[in-house]
Amino acid sequence: MTAQNQTLARPMASPSAIRVPREVLVIPVVMAVFTAAVALLANSFWLTAATSAVALSLSVTGLAILYGQLGLVSLCQFALVGVGGWVTLRIGHAWHPPFEVSMLSGGIVAALVGLIFGIPALRLRGLYLALVTLMLAGGFQTIIGAWGFPDGGPGFLGRADGAGRAMLSRPDLAQDSVPYFVYVSIVATIGLVISQWHKLARPGRAWALIRKGEHVAIASGVNVLTYKAWAFALSGFLAGIAGALLAGNVGQLDGRAFTAFESLNLFALAVVGGVYNWYGALIAGLLLRAVPALLTDLGIDGYVTIGIFGVALFQALATAPAGIAGQISGLIARLTRKGQKP
Amino acid sequence: MKLRLAAIAAGLAFIVMSAGGASAAAVCGEGTGQAATGEPIVIGAITGKTGPDDFSNSTRAAKAYFDCLNANGGIHGRPVQYMVEDDQWNPEIAAQLAAKLVDDQKAVLMVGNSSFVECGANADFYKKSGITVVAGVGVPRECFFASAIAPTNAGPRVSMLGAMGYALDQLGAKSVVCIGPNIPNVGSWSCDGVMLLAKEKGFPASTILIDQGSADSTSVMLQAASSNPDVIVLGMSKGSAVPLLVAAEEQGLNEKIKFVSAASAYDLSVPETIGPGWDGRFYVNMEFNDLEATTPDNQNWLAVMDEYGQKSDPRDTFAQAGYLAARIAEKALMSIDPANITRETAGKAVADIKAFESDIFCAPWYFGADQPRHNANSTTRMAVSEGGKWKVVSDCAPSPDPELADIRAFEKSAGITQ
Amino acid sequence: MNFLPFIISGLGIGAVYALSGVGLLVLFRATGVLNFAFGAIGAVGAHVAWQLMEWDYPLALAILAAVLVSTLVSFLYGRFLAPLLSYRDTVVRAVGTLALALFLIALMGVVWGELPRRLQFPTDQMYLTLFGVRLTFTRIIALVLAIVVVGGITVLLGTTRLGLDMRALANDRDLSAILGVRITRTETAAWIITGIFAGLGGLLLADLVRLQGTFLTFLVIPAIAAAILGQLRSLWVTAFAGLGIGVAEALLTPIDWISPYRSATPFVIALIAVMILGSTAQAALKDR
Repeated sequence: MTAQNQTLARPMASPSAIRVPREVLVIPVVMAVFTAAVALLANSFWLTAATSAVALSLSVTGLAILYGQLGLVSLCQFALVGVGGWVTLRIGHAWHPPFEVSMLSGGIVAALVGLIFGIPALRLRGLYLALVTLMLAGGFQTIIGAWGFPDGGPGFLGRADGAGRAMLSRPDLAQDSVPYFVYVSIVATIGLVISQWHKLARPGRAWALIRKGEHVAIASGVNVLTYKAWAFALSGFLAGIAGALLAGNVGQLDGRAFTAFESLNLFALAVVGGVYNWYGALIAGLLLRAVPALLTDLGIDGYVTIGIFGVALFQALATAPAGIAGQISGLIARLTRKGQKP
Repeated sequence: MKLRLAAIAAGLAFIVMSAGGASAAAVCGEGTGQAATGEPIVIGAITGKTGPDDFSNSTRAAKAYFDCLNANGGIHGRPVQYMVEDDQWNPEIAAQLAAKLVDDQKAVLMVGNSSFVECGANADFYKKSGITVVAGVGVPRECFFASAIAPTNAGPRVSMLGAMGYALDQLGAKSVVCIGPNIPNVGSWSCDGVMLLAKEKGFPASTILIDQGSADSTSVMLQAASSNPDVIVLGMSKGSAVPLLVAAEEQGLNEKIKFVSAASAYDLSVPETIGPGWDGRFYVNMEFNDLEATTPDNQNWLAVMDEYGQKSDPRDTFAQAGYLAARIAEKALMSIDPANITRETAGKAVADIKAFESDIFCAPWYFGADQPRHNANSTTRMAVSEGGKWKVVSDCAPSPDPELADIRAFEKSAGITQ
Repeated sequence: MNFLPFIISGLGIGAVYALSGVGLLVLFRATGVLNFAFGAIGAVGAHVAWQLMEWDYPLALAILAAVLVSTLVSFLYGRFLAPLLSYRDTVVRAVGTLALALFLIALMGVVWGELPRRLQFPTDQMYLTLFGVRLTFTRIIALVLAIVVVGGITVLLGTTRLGLDMRALANDRDLSAILGVRITRTETAAWIITGIFAGLGGLLLADLVRLQGTFLTFLVIPAIAAAILGQLRSLWVTAFAGLGIGVAEALLTPIDWISPYRSATPFVIALIAVMILGSTAQAALKDR
């Protein structure tokens, strides 16, 4: 993949240099511009849509690490978002710690669950792995459908009985919609930077070797088990944080919104957005939440929206292997290299 | 309780006064026949259209009524701008849409809401924004335990207990199995009511909660039948109730056990879909009057749908609910100064409603000012499946739900007679 | 607790899983594409059959129309759209069928809506009674169809030229082309066969479960569990695994504390199987 090679083929700065690579610096800059534009121009409806989109782009980043870097398909990423959301809500309602604590706990537990999910994956590849993860998503769907998400009640499940339903309070710094959107953007930027750093540093190189072939990797002295596990854990962590941010957005989550199909959808749109570039995750997030919002705003019937998505999904799969982000990066490469061969 | 003739007479008088004629023409507003041209009053609604089921008939009927209203002088000359949004059964989207309608569009009231997920997602937001919601159809418990939301329907638990009451009184039920969806705050809430009533009255009862996404209806039916109940009461939506009934018929249970259901399975398509095997055997609770009743307000509802709705809009109970919600909103708004219609004045006007009469309701509807929860519609009827249609088989009766104690106490103290 | 009746009802739901699981795998064995749209294609056919029966056309015509429509949809996708993805990896090709499923859901939603409907066949009224449970002929037909299709496809794949071409195609597309396998014809034949099976299967599933577009489409997700137990290779194991999973799910019904969660049975069984079978699984799977 040309786009993939671009991200890997750049020479790394020498280990002693303290200069931050350009690929990492560009993330906060672009995110800042994007955040400012949305915060200033969007009305309430678009603000909530954008907040969801940015939160979900974090979970897509996790997927992109597993699929883009390691070639491993995880069809249970949205379930991990749900796990993160569940833990955040449970801890938030039980002890009312600062939002950041609940969020981090959500991320950590989701990372652990991602790791556990990763155990069968350590020896599986390809479609078989994908289907196994889909089974996990299906199992989660049943459990969360029956449990629901915590909303201030007692006991392990934390369900209140109608009256006295509590909403998760937002972080102290960011109680209103616009500050909360900026908060979500900042957290997402940190997540994207972490993920991009991983790709450019040693883990990224190890993952590339593992993707080429595990024997090659082992022969090169890479600890396959550790790096694969790390990928699953990181992917789970990012999904968990995304879940926490979604929980904070509405103040609650609904058990019926975490079906196995949502994980399938997430993967499909991650591929369409592009898994080889960091902004592919942002594009995927926007496709997941902003584009449906746009179609709803235009008054297009819900089923027609689904149909449009199906067609667009196929079109993107057939014509853009590296996703929309890949096409953008190809365009940028053509413009900046001006005549040099890619 | 007998049908309140006074309610019908009042409804009739209201209509005669505003129409000046008893023809089948739709009657709304001041009946001037002149389009309203003043500054629009923004009213919002959120409905669950795309998803496991389509609840949007409520908002369609409300829209038809508001169109009729706008064609007849509006609210003292001001037209209603009715904005309906589809939350696609997703609470995230429901929250986005509430923000859009309340903050961006500056709606003064929400009327005709009919969504499975939006009460839970938005109840708090509505309270904080100070906006009153006259919902069309509420389903989960959150719709009936929110200070800002007052549905026109009775709710799944009240409805299920209405069915249960009928089964006890008229069908001679001595033991029951309750089958409900395993959605928290819907299934367990409803079946808990049955269990509570069973404890009070001293008869055996058990509950089976099922996943509505399950493809296996036969096992559930076998499980329910294994305890040999007299009655099986269902709290499922029509999409899940039909497969359960099909599985029951397959096993011959329709001939041995009586089946009753809450109003969630009351839909015109159901008797024909389940077929002749269920004639006289499947009873359903109705939160509103018979869809084909010839009483004046019901006929007005049909006339409004015919003249201002689409031909394809189903004339079902959701539509009745939306129509009623729109009429309640109209009554409230008509009572305030048209130059001063704000969220506060509109909300107060709705809260002041103590006796809204319509023959579609069994008993007059009221809001219940300053109450922490609203459940005015708690008197229901029963129908049975017969020859591909529903046949009404009982008069209005108050639902024996023990949880309504606080509501009944309020009604007594406020002098509201049902 | 009397479990015997639940074994019989389990066979009922097991037939559903077996049909869907085999439906998924048939195309996979023949082209390397996992068909997420199997349920959707069948559902479209079932809706067409229902519509014709509503218009009082005879049953035989309705069934024929259903199978024709399903086959047509499958053929159109397989001949013109699937080849566009043929050089991507297996997961992306499966996601392509997901796109088809979404489109079909939209089509059914726009044309027929989500009202619950009942598809009835005369065989619903005929039944065998075992352990006090009625097993309708429709369910027996579903079981028989699953077995017959598995047998038929196994014979096709094992003894005919077309079958050989299909297996080669599923194994390595490029190599097969070099060896002279006529890719387009083989693939199209596979999609047509799967379309016919989807049509018949869809009719049965709509009768046995419910006639609702989205529901029937997502029935493939638990059916994947059966395919996993067959290690994406063996059609026989998939069919019997489907039955087994159905029986296991039904047997959990009388156990109160686990009953609300029993629809997770296919997923749990699949995961346990993966743990036990381990990595011997995908030996035949070449990941491109």
